[in-house]
Amino acid sequence: MFKKVLIANRGEIAVRIIKACQEMDIKTVAVYSEVDENAPHVQLADETVNLGDPTPIESYLNIPKIIKVAQDVGADAIHPGYGFLAENPDFAKSCNDKKMKFIGPSPKVISLMGDKIAAKKIMEKAGVPVIPGYHGVKQDNSSMVKEGRKIGFPLLVKAAAGGGGKGMRIVHSEDMLKDSIESAKRESKSAFGNDTVFLEKYIDKPRHIEFQILADEHGNIVHLFERECSIQRRHQKIIEETPSPVMTPELREKMGKAAIKAAEAVGYSNAGTVEFMVDGNLDFYFMEMNTRLQVEHPITEMTTGVDLAKWQLRIASGMKLTLKQKELIQRGHAIECRIYAENPSNGFLPSIGTLTKVESPTGPNVRNDTGIYAGMKITPYYDPMLAKLVVSSENREDCINKMIWALSRYVVLGVTTNISFLKKVLSHDEFKKGNITTHFIDNHFKDWMNAKEGLPVEALIALAVYDSMHSKTQEIVRYKESDPHSPWKHVGRWRMGVDS
Amino acid sequence: MFINYEHENHVYNVSVERRKNQYFVTYDNTEYKVEADEIKPGYLKIKLGDRVIKCVITKGDKDKFVFVEGDVFKVRNIELTGAKKTKKKEKGALNSPISGKVVSIKVKDGDKVKKGDVLMIIEAMKMEYLIRAPYNGKVKKVNFKENGQIEIGQNTVEITKNKED
Repeated sequence: MFKKVLIANRGEIAVRIIKACQEMDIKTVAVYSEVDENAPHVQLADETVNLGDPTPIESYLNIPKIIKVAQDVGADAIHPGYGFLAENPDFAKSCNDKKMKFIGPSPKVISLMGDKIAAKKIMEKAGVPVIPGYHGVKQDNSSMVKEGRKIGFPLLVKAAAGGGGKGMRIVHSEDMLKDSIESAKRESKSAFGNDTVFLEKYIDKPRHIEFQILADEHGNIVHLFERECSIQRRHQKIIEETPSPVMTPELREKMGKAAIKAAEAVGYSNAGTVEFMVDGNLDFYFMEMNTRLQVEHPITEMTTGVDLAKWQLRIASGMKLTLKQKELIQRGHAIECRIYAENPSNGFLPSIGTLTKVESPTGPNVRNDTGIYAGMKITPYYDPMLAKLVVSSENREDCINKMIWALSRYVVLGVTTNISFLKKVLSHDEFKKGNITTHFIDNHFKDWMNAKEGLPVEALIALAVYDSMHSKTQEIVRYKESDPHSPWKHVGRWRMGVDS
Repeated sequence: MFINYEHENHVYNVSVERRKNQYFVTYDNTEYKVEADEIKPGYLKIKLGDRVIKCVITKGDKDKFVFVEGDVFKVRNIELTGAKKTKKKEKGALNSPISGKVVSIKVKDGDKVKKGDVLMIIEAMKMEYLIRAPYNGKVKKVNFKENGQIEIGQNTVEITKNKED
């Protein structure tokens, strides 16, 4: 086993990995940018190294800097977390070249799966179903538009190097195609340094269902069942659950086999996720393979009892997988909610500011993966995800109720968050019935406004009491009856200005 | 004491009187008599009849955040003095919705634009935000350069609206 692991990431995932290392008696090294000096991952690690400038390219994305730091501290392995350098084959190669183990699959596999076009071709050859589309090398506008016309509308423009919805556009008609391709290319170039895009048939009533894979370096592969990740906004997941409400034992068997086949086809090792699109007829198509630990991995951990982060470390150190497919079982139901600093009433735009109060819910089967603290500044430099709240229970209905309970007790003040919105989604009848697709938010919450009815009277009472408590004026002696004609008693709520 | 709270462009007039840990809060013709204690800084336990309301309040620079029964509201105390103060809010979507970097500018001074035209592209948190023309008009001034930093609320492009619209 490794002696010292450097974690090339920040936030909750860095915290998660450090804790796994601690349990396994592995020393940890945290790296951080200037703005993260007091972050939990920095506080938890045995050693810490300042990478300087908060711009990702100067810190968490700076390969030479991180490699140099890892060598200086004598790390024998590097865990990339997710995002940042997690799926960067050059980084994985640099680690391995310097005799530090990259905790993940080989650079060759990362590079293969990172190229979504090549990945689909391999999967098609291996007999895994894929979505019709154009994955060619002709990237000029007129060729792309011609191919788009062949596939038909609506179609998707996707970044070849993409993930997390970045560089992705839905195009409903031909006249929008050229603009969308250009915009997706720009976003992809900026996010991934590569502007290759491809086109794909747009699936009706799509669900996003993915399978967790664990593969060792000796050819053993198991899957750890599915995760339903259809609840998305801006093509990014916000609520994930397992099992999927549409899953049947037969479909699970078929998809699980396809996932393992996909992993085998590329000689995969370590933890990975095979993402499928499932349509209204429960036909499934391979979308992509994520060569890393997923954000939503805790729901799998909650229902299988398997610690995926620890297995990543064991597999990378050369150990054999002792988990057997037949022995793996799923118990109960688990849901994860991603708590974001963003405003659902305003297009889910990220919100920045200083967290003034943070208090997370605790209770049986409630897990809170977070890297935030009161006093922390939420900056525009990094992803606005604040925490992942995960709960598990005997069945789906119970699990939904538990999540609503837990969200209602999650205090995050100082920036606008999506907590109220998440509660509304979970309380929606169609969600409760399991009638979800990746369009769920657009279909049911298009123009959702927080507190549309205005401030509840409880909030006004609380505010008034608070202000009165903290007012410097002397305690007012209340006379028998205050002035019944005071205008303040009759005005109530009114609207300011004309514009809104 | 009389207090005005602003929330989402609405103003709420409230009066409150205090006697020890009893408070008399009047809002919209109704008086609420409550007992309240601050359990720890910002954490209030309020008894209203047979209900117990637990809430958390913090103060930011200008705003207060109130957490009541799982929901959070951003509220501001405002003074109403003499002539009613109305914030002159720039209409349309020409103000930047986010702090970030200007990655592309599609128009220059003097250009004619149609409603919906993309004027500027701002990138923040690895995502792109498009600033579109809210109406037909002519570009009076582009306030930023490509690769410049822009802050939330700043005016991106000034447009003179066409008269006939």
